[in-house]
Amino acid sequence: MLRKSVSRPASRGFSVLKSLKTTESPKSTQNAKPNDRFKPLSDAQVAYLDRVVRVDQAGELGANYIYAGQYFVLASKYPHLKPVLHHMWEQEIHHHNTFNEMQLKRRVRPSLITPLWKLGAFIMGSGTALISPEAAMACTEAVETVIGGHYNDQLRCLNNQYELERNDGTKGHSQELSSLIATIKQFRDDELEHLDTAIEYDSHKAVPYILLTEGIKNVCRVAIWTAERV
Amino acid sequence: MLALSRILARRLYHPSALEHQLAHSFAPLTYGPGSTQFKVLEHALNKHVPSYGFNERALVASLNDLDLGPSLLSVIGASNSPSFLNASPAVLELIKFHLVTKRYALTKELDPARTSSPAEPPALETLFHRRLELNKPIAPHLTQLLSSLSIPGEFLVQTALPELHRLSDDMVYFSKEPDANDFAWYSKRIALSCAFVSSELFMAQDRSANYADTFEFAAEKLHNVSKLGQYYNNTEEYMWYTLLMSVNLAKSQLTRS
Ligand SMILES: [Fe+2]
Ligand SMILES: [Fe+2]
Repeated sequence: MLRKSVSRPASRGFSVLKSLKTTESPKSTQNAKPNDRFKPLSDAQVAYLDRVVRVDQAGELGANYIYAGQYFVLASKYPHLKPVLHHMWEQEIHHHNTFNEMQLKRRVRPSLITPLWKLGAFIMGSGTALISPEAAMACTEAVETVIGGHYNDQLRCLNNQYELERNDGTKGHSQELSSLIATIKQFRDDELEHLDTAIEYDSHKAVPYILLTEGIKNVCRVAIWTAERV
Repeated sequence: MLALSRILARRLYHPSALEHQLAHSFAPLTYGPGSTQFKVLEHALNKHVPSYGFNERALVASLNDLDLGPSLLSVIGASNSPSFLNASPAVLELIKFHLVTKRYALTKELDPARTSSPAEPPALETLFHRRLELNKPIAPHLTQLLSSLSIPGEFLVQTALPELHRLSDDMVYFSKEPDANDFAWYSKRIALSCAFVSSELFMAQDRSANYADTFEFAAEKLHNVSKLGQYYNNTEEYMWYTLLMSVNLAKSQLTRS
């Protein structure tokens, strides 16, 4: 019974070398003639984007492993939760892959302590799931609350601070920025959907609810702060 | 660990160069090919460094060739702190110029931002080999160069190490070598940097015809780098497998009793 649940995360491959290179081809942005190219980003703007990609990649890595932990513990014992968890996990994997690709393409260094994020997230997911399914949902609720807020902060900054000037004097967002904003918006919506799902599946009935959710929220805030920097 | 990430942090997010202009085309150099500074350093590096080495004589000779006054010498090195042992700021700038321009030369035909028809990504070995080829003209002065680069101090932390990291990063990015999203990203670059420095040290002592021994040595070092990324990932994979298996074992023991 339990062997079945282990085969899932193992088959995903926990650390996979990316074999596909994502260097830029001139075709992808063919409409960018020298004259409507944007003026250089400032050092501060580049540094912020660097942090955004690193922290979001680490965050989605964590989310992926939280769901892996929950699935590992709950899937076989609570069949009715299996499709729900599986759906959310699939979305996290998509989020994680998206940021992985971006990290390679935009040449951002990943967080230095990825092994720690993986282990910590897995323990958080499986640990709360071992308490009860409701505690696992309370964990999801807390994580998604913080992540949703975090994505909203990023969207605010990206929308306000990245109006760039072209060489011909007109202003706007570059394709690169618009697509980053669209991606984060989509992911924020997905996370808030996870939040609703968690509440729907009785996260509020978890004991001890306040202790659990507030504790996990603090852990997430510290993790975000660290992943931006290290 | 913080010092490490500070050195690596100098390699930041790269905005699409097709959509955004770059602040400097030879970053971290703050002057472009049109500037006098660039012309003097380029001339010195190509014409005089092969015979004189990395020193003020090479710079003075090229100032003479270009009919420029000797006062330019202090302008050239203005971005380097003068407190460095023995080496003048201008010579440090010459060394920096060598490191940066050779790195850019390596990927000139591969970078879509600098060529309209980028070539197919080569193997990592090819780029590594090519970079060592570029050292041939200055090879007699490699010992002196490497010792200047390794003196502890500001130049090492601000220029020599970050530039070495950028070289490794470029070699991975522009080759068809698979890259990583986790800790293997670091281990690969660090191993590559070590392989490059030891190959340069070897080259400095190499007396074989056309540096054949150096290239043989480099190929072997590089072989270990590619294996290292795999080793790391296999180890991590194995530890996860073990962890999950032990948790399962513990659970089954609990339910049985
Ligand atoms: Fe996510
Ligand atoms: Fe989520």
